[in-house]
Amino acid sequence: MYDVIVRGGLVVDGSGAPGYLGDVAVQDGKIVAVGQITGDALRFVEAEGRIVAPGFIDPHTHFDVQLLWDGAAKPALEHGITCVVPGNCSLSLAPLRAADRQQVIGMFQQIEEMPPAAFTEAFEWTWEDFAGYRAAIEKSLSINVAPLVGHSVIRLWVMGPHAQERAADAGEISAMQDMLRECLDAGAVGLSTSFVDVDENGRPVPSRFAQFEELDALSAVLGEYGRMLQIVPEFYAIDITIARIDQLAELSLKHNIPTTFSPVFDSTATPDNVARTVARVEEQFSRGARVWPQMQTRPIDISFSLLRPSLFFARLPRWVRILRQPLEQRIAALRDPETVAKMVADTGPDGGERMMGRLVVRGGDGAPVELTGRTLSDIAKDRGEVTALALINLSLEHGLDVALLSANAGHEVTDRIGPMLAHPLVHIGASDGGAHLASFSTYGDTGYLFSEFVRKSGALSLEQAVAKLTAETADIWGLKDRGRLEAGKAADIVIFDAATIGRGEERPAFDMPGNGMRYVRAATGIDTVLVNGQVAYAGGQYSEARAGVVCV
Amino acid sequence: MALSLQRRFVTPGPGETVEEIADRALPDQDQGAAVDAIRSWNLHIFAMRRPPGLLLGSDVVFIEPPIG
Repeated sequence: MYDVIVRGGLVVDGSGAPGYLGDVAVQDGKIVAVGQITGDALRFVEAEGRIVAPGFIDPHTHFDVQLLWDGAAKPALEHGITCVVPGNCSLSLAPLRAADRQQVIGMFQQIEEMPPAAFTEAFEWTWEDFAGYRAAIEKSLSINVAPLVGHSVIRLWVMGPHAQERAADAGEISAMQDMLRECLDAGAVGLSTSFVDVDENGRPVPSRFAQFEELDALSAVLGEYGRMLQIVPEFYAIDITIARIDQLAELSLKHNIPTTFSPVFDSTATPDNVARTVARVEEQFSRGARVWPQMQTRPIDISFSLLRPSLFFARLPRWVRILRQPLEQRIAALRDPETVAKMVADTGPDGGERMMGRLVVRGGDGAPVELTGRTLSDIAKDRGEVTALALINLSLEHGLDVALLSANAGHEVTDRIGPMLAHPLVHIGASDGGAHLASFSTYGDTGYLFSEFVRKSGALSLEQAVAKLTAETADIWGLKDRGRLEAGKAADIVIFDAATIGRGEERPAFDMPGNGMRYVRAATGIDTVLVNGQVAYAGGQYSEARAGVVCV
Repeated sequence: MALSLQRRFVTPGPGETVEEIADRALPDQDQGAAVDAIRSWNLHIFAMRRPPGLLLGSDVVFIEPPIG
């Protein structure tokens, strides 16, 4: 008697091999048989007319804090994701002394656009070390987690305030190595670092003060365990990205470790950048280095209102400072003619037309219905104002609750992106799941891969797409028990309709702690998701199963 | 597959200044000219960063202009 038999689906097993009609039997959280299965089971999951695939793995997320109150990392799980990798970009929530929490919250707020309430209202801080964090999330996981530990927090732990001031000395580097070993022993899947991020005061994050020798020493520890080094390179400059690829290759070869960098975006403004990136990656792989570029599937769409700071204003520090103020002060600043004149001037001699003219009113908020779908450029002309001033005044007239969408701001040309995603050395990831909450939905990239690049453009076969999200990702990250439908592997299984799987419409939700807003997408075409043999999601509903584990 | 030629770069040593990098990386050039050249080849450090010119241990500092 099996626990579960998934019956009669098209088995796409993650290997890239053609799918075939068959069944999958599950016992004690593991797959025990795949093929034509005749035995009995406590539960049958009917999959006729559906695809049966390994659960998807999302290798670039920031669910570190959400996992403390939501063990399903909603809505990631309903999009077929059964394993997430949090702790990217040098930031994790352990190891972290109580006295340093506020500083790291500020970094998450700045870099990942997470509201402070997410860190203060929904859970109790019970840990400082990595094992303690692991224990805190493991209490109610519905999804599997392979957490990275952040270089910045390790540096902060060892060096205190000097972490954002100077190079480490030999003793401090040795202490960081010891701390990294402790984290890896406690279940970290690797180390993340960043070369681009700044904290809420504009100061580079601690990892950026590290000499290459420090990263080399930490990579030596990763080599003892064979675990991953993830970095955020200066993705806006191709020559620097290539320099980072070469540094990663050196570390990969010297310490025999896998490395990955993200994001890698396509832009028609710099149409050769991805090709140059991939060409360098090919050269380094040919030497034996493992340097995996991570590419997201979705276009860059950014939504925002003046109710909260946004990534959209990243190049306008005055706007960021003003939008970070409490609501009353923010409104007062936006009503002050002298301040507004400076803000408008910041947007350029055209009054922000080039930067903001293409913005479209999203609707569904405080904006008048008749403005929905119109561009800010048109609205500004009607109002007789320059574009940036129209944005400010329109927002003020409606309590700042006017959401605008900057659509297709890059990485949006399907015929260009498809072949890139299909490249054998391009690692599909970089969703940023759980971050940038009020700027865009970081959920649904998996569905978008199937709807846009399998069904619509045909850039990848169904089997290729599944392999990219499952076995290939598991192999890259060394997740030995995941990613394939074969006997002995963990029973992480997703059952979906190949004709309808998609990412759903983006919509605002107010389900963050403190009634915080985020953009989400509800999955389409996903029938059932099993995590370690238990049904975690079926028929549009999350179950009470808590079978997720920390899975290194 | 041989590695193709890419821009040469160095990383700053602990507390190293741009003048010291110029002396180390471009020893045959006049220091002032070398510093000016390094500044112009590294706008990510000397123009885009706040404060401009703050050198970090992890920085990539190019010591030649873009290739081609």
